[in-house]
Amino acid sequence: MWKSQIRLALRSLWKNKLNTTIKLAGFIVGITSCLMIMLFIQQELNYDAFHEKGDRLVRVVMEYGMAGESGIVNVTGNKVAPAFKEDFAEVANACRVIEYNQVVKFREQIFEEPHFYYADSTFFELFTFPLLQGEPGEVLRAPDQVVLAERMAKKYFGDEDPIGKVLRVGTDNNYTVSGIMQDPPAASQLKPDFIGSFVSLRDARAERLTWWNANYATYLLLHNAESRPGLEAKIPEYMRRHANETGSEGENYLSYRLEPLLEVHLHSPVPGNFEPNGDIRYIYILSAIGLFILLISTSSYINLATAVSTERAKEIGVQKVLGASRGQLFWQHLAESMVLTGLALTASIALVPLFLPFFNSLFDRQLSANVLLGPAFMGGLFLFGLSTSLLAGAYPATVLSGFEPFRVLKGAYKHSSSGNLLRKSLIVFQFAISVILVISTLVLQGQMQYIQEKKLGYDKSHVLALRTDQQVVEKLDALRSEWVGQKGIQSLSLVYETPVHIKGGYDISRSVNGEHAKMVTALPADEHFLETVNIGLAAGSGISKADVEIAARLGSGSDTTSTLSILINESQARAFGWTPEEALRQFVSFNGRRVQIKGVMKDFHFASLHEPIGNLVVFPTSWGNTLMAKLDGRDIPGALQYMESKWTQLAPHRPFTYHFLDEEFGRMYASEWQAAKLATTFSWLAILLACLALFGVSSYSIVQRSREVSIRKVLGASMTSIISLLSGSFLKLVVWSFLAAMPVGWYLMHQWLQNFTYHIEIQWWMFTLAALLALGAAFLSVSVQSIRTALVNPAEELKGE
Amino acid sequence: MIRTNKLMKVYRTEEVETTALNEVSVEIKPGEFVSIMGPSGCGKSTLLNILGLIDNPSGGEYHFLDKEVSKFSERQRSQLRKNNIGFIFQSFNLIDELTVFENVELPLIYTKVSSSDRKKRVDDVLDKMNMMHRRNHFPQQLSGGQQQRVAVARAIVNNPKLILADEPTGNLDSANGDDVMKNLVHLNNEGATIIMVTHSQYCAEFGNRIIRLLDGQVVTESMVAKQML
Repeated sequence: MWKSQIRLALRSLWKNKLNTTIKLAGFIVGITSCLMIMLFIQQELNYDAFHEKGDRLVRVVMEYGMAGESGIVNVTGNKVAPAFKEDFAEVANACRVIEYNQVVKFREQIFEEPHFYYADSTFFELFTFPLLQGEPGEVLRAPDQVVLAERMAKKYFGDEDPIGKVLRVGTDNNYTVSGIMQDPPAASQLKPDFIGSFVSLRDARAERLTWWNANYATYLLLHNAESRPGLEAKIPEYMRRHANETGSEGENYLSYRLEPLLEVHLHSPVPGNFEPNGDIRYIYILSAIGLFILLISTSSYINLATAVSTERAKEIGVQKVLGASRGQLFWQHLAESMVLTGLALTASIALVPLFLPFFNSLFDRQLSANVLLGPAFMGGLFLFGLSTSLLAGAYPATVLSGFEPFRVLKGAYKHSSSGNLLRKSLIVFQFAISVILVISTLVLQGQMQYIQEKKLGYDKSHVLALRTDQQVVEKLDALRSEWVGQKGIQSLSLVYETPVHIKGGYDISRSVNGEHAKMVTALPADEHFLETVNIGLAAGSGISKADVEIAARLGSGSDTTSTLSILINESQARAFGWTPEEALRQFVSFNGRRVQIKGVMKDFHFASLHEPIGNLVVFPTSWGNTLMAKLDGRDIPGALQYMESKWTQLAPHRPFTYHFLDEEFGRMYASEWQAAKLATTFSWLAILLACLALFGVSSYSIVQRSREVSIRKVLGASMTSIISLLSGSFLKLVVWSFLAAMPVGWYLMHQWLQNFTYHIEIQWWMFTLAALLALGAAFLSVSVQSIRTALVNPAEELKGE
Repeated sequence: MIRTNKLMKVYRTEEVETTALNEVSVEIKPGEFVSIMGPSGCGKSTLLNILGLIDNPSGGEYHFLDKEVSKFSERQRSQLRKNNIGFIFQSFNLIDELTVFENVELPLIYTKVSSSDRKKRVDDVLDKMNMMHRRNHFPQQLSGGQQQRVAVARAIVNNPKLILADEPTGNLDSANGDDVMKNLVHLNNEGATIIMVTHSQYCAEFGNRIIRLLDGQVVTESMVAKQML
């Protein structure tokens, strides 16, 4: 029975080649998209799951209240790990981890390495990063030991055995390679390229242990996963007992929360330590998109399968007369959708590896298609295929198997309008989803363009940033005289971090005694900062060379009488209740020091546009770890080449590794860019699928009207009137779908824009463009068959009457 | 074999009620070859559909093989139909996607005959219809006469007790039409009961009784005087 059903299914698929091709294409597009989304979600849901003790690992996050502000951060002081391990029986072990950007040198090879970790010797007991060489308990035990990820071992040593070899790290540390670990998997929060032994750091010394100076990611291994809530509840009281060490009094406090490691990536409100966290909301959105794409392709199938019902009616009627039961016919028609789903699934599994590199680069991922071939995923795919074919095939199979034979054989279904409402509703549904996606795309791209073009209050174009170190800072004057004025290099400034995102946290008080201090963001910078990024002054003047020299003397303790001059922004002046002019020459307390306001900068955006402009201080410094160079942009390659040649002469210990502020700015909106790319990709896919389905359905229903068209032509109808008659009924559906989609699209994007303090308004032209796009695509889909039918010779068509 | 008593069939639309069959009472005995005649719209095909258990009557009684079947569900009718009735249509109604062999095989699949048995029985009946040489062809590759021979083969492959033919020669030229009628007479001679709807007096006289319908009612019943064969 099954054999003959599948045979019949295959033959009728073959016979209706156009219909089959459209259904198959729809399924392939839908299933391939779904599979990629599934791979993405699978990776996100399994983040960090490879750690054998993952369920017992927790991340410690620090909660604090200070100077009237409170916060929660992903790092702790270096004392938390040893103290908790010592004092809480629940804790089996603990590990501190910190990431540095280090310059690493071996023989003539020198690279800047952004993922150089330092970790306690317990690292390999807590985390499952298998060692290819070296003993887990030994490789990080002694000072100046370093473990390399396999890819780094290859990069520096090629085929040589790296164990025992010495790497120069930073300016004057020599580390001996003690172990090689497997490269960390893609779904890991920790992705070290190097792990130096924690005891190599100055901060590892017992006398330097502190609850403050929160720089370290702290992880605990519990004896028992269930003990986490109980342990967490004990911490506030424990910290109160240590109030004298933490300086917590009054409204100041310090405490910790424990987050299960496996929940950090998707569920933690506190940012990731080594890479941005994922977001469970994106998983929901992606699942919804996957489901929509699948629904669109299954509704295409339903539409096309029921559209040909008139052609299938005879076959079904005959089979029923010959004794086929409804059940048998149901399964036969379901077999068709199963055969098609099976074919599409196979094709999609073959296509996924081809499209995955594109998907990976689009979304900055390292997904692998190998997961698809694992037994668990295979089982899942089988169920997925089965449910897709049921979703798509059950309705057509029910309709077709329900035909009454005597009516079929009387020709009652020849010009049937049964299922029209459903088909129309499905078309409206498909186009509504497409229109929502198009509106979303237009708003997302509009907002991203707004971000790109928004006047930030400083000029980030053609400004490059280089990480630097003390040795470079010492040669800064020499570097400046070599660079500035040459090859379009206009200025050079030493800062702690770039103005794209200033994070430094300090406190400031209007009272010189420091009473009622408030948190403030501040940036140490030299006298060239304002000109390099073209920040304007509302009052007063900028930092001078003399200010920088005073700062250096104050810092070294050689001068105790001078007053530090600082710049504040307009927001800070307003917060103090001053106009820019009033703020000038005022004395305030900054980080406990009496300072004088020398200038008021015009407000500029020093954080993402999600946030309003906050209060900011810029204060003079003679140290820093970032250099910014402003180029005139006329010959950037020439300037870079020139800069590198001089850099290599003056700072041979450090590679010339730079980035432009524009790139850094772009990275701040990585998730928005991804969302924009996602919306764009899936809007095109949705429109393609909807048009395919419309093309298929309209072909059948227009052919059914060829007799009517012939009669109208005999009666004098023009080509144009016939084409608009045939296309019009479908275009009306698109108008309905637009009306349904407009409020939904508006609501969704309005909500999304609320995430930005600075955002565009949704414009009417976005809806018009979305409507025109949908109408245009729909018209193209139906016009071919409309024109063909309108050209039919009425004499031919009516011959059979 | 067949007995109807005041059989009614009424079609209702929102505004109109059409009586297709009006108290039709007929009796057909095993081995008979009955032709049903009448003008278009007189209810011939409706009667044939009801007798063939494709449709249910609106009223009256229908006894098939001594069972009252007028209230049978589609499932029960389907059971009776596939085991006892073979159909031949004016437009052949072969399934285009299946070969000659597969078309004829179809009723045997639905009655769950084993694969080896099916092959033998299909080959036998194709041989009998002189269609063995075309067994792997598709319907579109055959002439009208050949298609109807395949349809007859399909109708008889299950050895039905009753064969229903709805204008079996309507789409055929006279030579092919004669051929089909001879086959039907031959089957009747072998014991099959045949009911045939036709417009053609010539074809009707191949049977041994003619029932004439008008406006859904039986107007005359007459025996055919002589066999044409």
